[in-house]
Amino acid sequence: MTDAVTFERVTFAYPGAGDAVLSDVSFEVPEGSFVLVAGATGAGKSTLLRAMNGLVPHFSGGRFRGVVRVGGTDTRAVAPRELSHEVAFVPQDPGASFVVDRVEDELAYAMENLAFDRNRMRRRIEETLDLLDLAHLRDRSVRTISGGERQRVAIAAALTPGPRLLLLDEPTSQLDPQGAENVLAALQRLVHDLGMTVLIAEHRLERVAGFVDLALGIAAGNVTTGSPQDVLERVGLGPPVARLGRLLEWKPLPLTVRDARRHAADSPPDLSPPTKRHRSFRGGELMAARLLRAGYGPKVVLHGIDLEIARGESVVLVGRNGAGKTTLLRCMAGLHPPLSGRVLFETEPPRPGTDVALCPQRPESVLFRETVQEEITTTLEWKQRTGDPAELIAYFGLPAAILQVHPRDLSAGQRQLIAIAAVAATGARVLALDEPSRGLDAESKRHLVSFLERYVSDDRAVIVATHDVELAALIAHRVVMLAGGEIVAQGSPEGVLGDSPVFAPQTARVFGPRWLTPDQVAEAVAR
Amino acid sequence: MSTTNPFYLIVIGAAAWLVYAAHRRPGPQLRSFRIFIWFGAIAMAARTALVLLNPVLHIAITTSSVVVALLEGARIAVLLCVFGTFNSVSDPYDLLRLSPRRLYEPVLAAGLALSLAPRTIATVAEVREAQRVRGANAARWRALPALVVPVLETGMEEAVALAESMDARGHGRGRRTSYRVSSWDLGSGTMVIASLLVLGTIAWSAATGRGDLSVAMSPLQWPGVSPVLVTASAAIAIPAFLPGREEGR
Repeated sequence: MTDAVTFERVTFAYPGAGDAVLSDVSFEVPEGSFVLVAGATGAGKSTLLRAMNGLVPHFSGGRFRGVVRVGGTDTRAVAPRELSHEVAFVPQDPGASFVVDRVEDELAYAMENLAFDRNRMRRRIEETLDLLDLAHLRDRSVRTISGGERQRVAIAAALTPGPRLLLLDEPTSQLDPQGAENVLAALQRLVHDLGMTVLIAEHRLERVAGFVDLALGIAAGNVTTGSPQDVLERVGLGPPVARLGRLLEWKPLPLTVRDARRHAADSPPDLSPPTKRHRSFRGGELMAARLLRAGYGPKVVLHGIDLEIARGESVVLVGRNGAGKTTLLRCMAGLHPPLSGRVLFETEPPRPGTDVALCPQRPESVLFRETVQEEITTTLEWKQRTGDPAELIAYFGLPAAILQVHPRDLSAGQRQLIAIAAVAATGARVLALDEPSRGLDAESKRHLVSFLERYVSDDRAVIVATHDVELAALIAHRVVMLAGGEIVAQGSPEGVLGDSPVFAPQTARVFGPRWLTPDQVAEAVAR
Repeated sequence: MSTTNPFYLIVIGAAAWLVYAAHRRPGPQLRSFRIFIWFGAIAMAARTALVLLNPVLHIAITTSSVVVALLEGARIAVLLCVFGTFNSVSDPYDLLRLSPRRLYEPVLAAGLALSLAPRTIATVAEVREAQRVRGANAARWRALPALVVPVLETGMEEAVALAESMDARGHGRGRRTSYRVSSWDLGSGTMVIASLLVLGTIAWSAATGRGDLSVAMSPLQWPGVSPVLVTASAAIAIPAFLPGREEGR
């Protein structure tokens, strides 16, 4: 078998940066493999992918040594466009990569540049629209479709010219669990049936671990290759089932629910009943939405929502793409005027930024100062509060050295945490977070969870909208499931998530709906 | 747009609005039209305000200087209104596709510039909201960097991301094909002929001095109105009565 990508002694550092992101890296990826690129937040996964189509170093600049070959071509010898028939790349923020306005034209763009004839373009566009279930969006503008839809359009636009190598940077971060499953299954089919090579950088390992057959692990500038089990073991990462496997000493380490269930059936662990986190918050209502209807123009997104938030409570909103989670958050924060019904904080409409603070999906719209430190002190000054930025970011597991860094120089995951910290510095009684776990590895996610626990312990409340069911299982006192702008279920995470075929976290799939997180299993084992 | 004749300006402004109302597209473009109208109003006010500063320079304010300022302001306002209409009804990529291949690069630049206004407006809305829910309610001018800096930085990042994306997707490799066939139908023919006629009439009027394109100032008097020019100005509204393009493939 020939190799799709080879790295020969590659060293790379960004301009002005002292430390190399990649240091003396050599590996090859055989053609026709489905590869996971794993590494902690900020380890250099995006850099590695971008080195494979020449964006690093052609667009990034910086110090680059060694040779990267894609399909036999040295990426440094030619411009990225000369590789475009061979490699396609889907960046982290799909919105930023769109060149044209209409979905169908966006799918045609790369083929036009490659001078495909019209009949071939038409056929490929139809096939790809079907493959990723986008046919109903073909005439829509890429600016007005939802985040999850954009992600699928970006993948489709990369696929149409039929690349031999496809690079995806966190392609499922804005997709609901079912949507992610569908996209990954479609990609797997291309790998199996057409021998395409796919590399996918992803933090939500529970979604991808079952699909991939090879992994690249990045840690401290070094890259290791091998089976997903070996690599994840080496970089100390893994989906929740891998953590269960380590706790219960299952060998070989399970990466999928199926493997874990086999282990659990073969050697049932002796577990005392799980501790319940669900508490009753009766009587302590902090804010509420009553018969809330809201929408954009003629489109009504929320149809009569009734939702109470109690003091000290963490409420998680789940639901498929377009269910109305973001709109509900915006209404609760007092940003979006309801069509009818109302939102009350205690007895008044909420004051944005004072009663309710919200961290939006794109952390970039929050960050504007020169350093992380200023970013946080700015919020503190606005709210005339005192506080120590170093202490605040320490809650998120970030080193004090990061205080002097420009927020835009951070990795996507670190930016996300800084944006949350800057918003949380308002000390608002209700903190609302829209998809906060984008770009976060398991470790940073744990820090986020413990920060939110501290936040609500002070009689404040947290509302989180997310597609990340593992995060929901970690933080929710109550889960609210939205569908078509209505609340279809709400209650304890065990009750709402535990036995859902789509939303159940991995631990529940292995041990049953009463078990939500590996932490509960760890406690039960220790007892 | 060399006229300051208020009658023509009103007709042209109304025509632009008709086109906008008939063909506006959803999304940030909608807002971009309103913002251009605002810019127009501001330009008109600013031009008039300049005259009020005349006493500082020991120049007397006369009726005719105020009228000149008002009409010149109105001209700028109508021009911005027309540009706003163009911006909100046209898809920059359509321009790219319909232009001759030789002009690909310059039209691409023009297309990207056209898409800048709606993009920036969307970012401004997003950032303003994000800063508001983070507590930016202090004195407005002090919160200004919180709005301007992320908008500029996001704009820069988006521009770089777009350039990267275009290169990575093979832009500028050489020969390229086109996915959509844009056939010349009756509508586009009518539009091109109408615009040529409008241009021709105005050029003729400017060259011969007929039809009172500009307003006589000393002494100040109502300008005449030529039916030919009113018709020509109204012809700008023709696209409003044509059906939207059904895209052929």
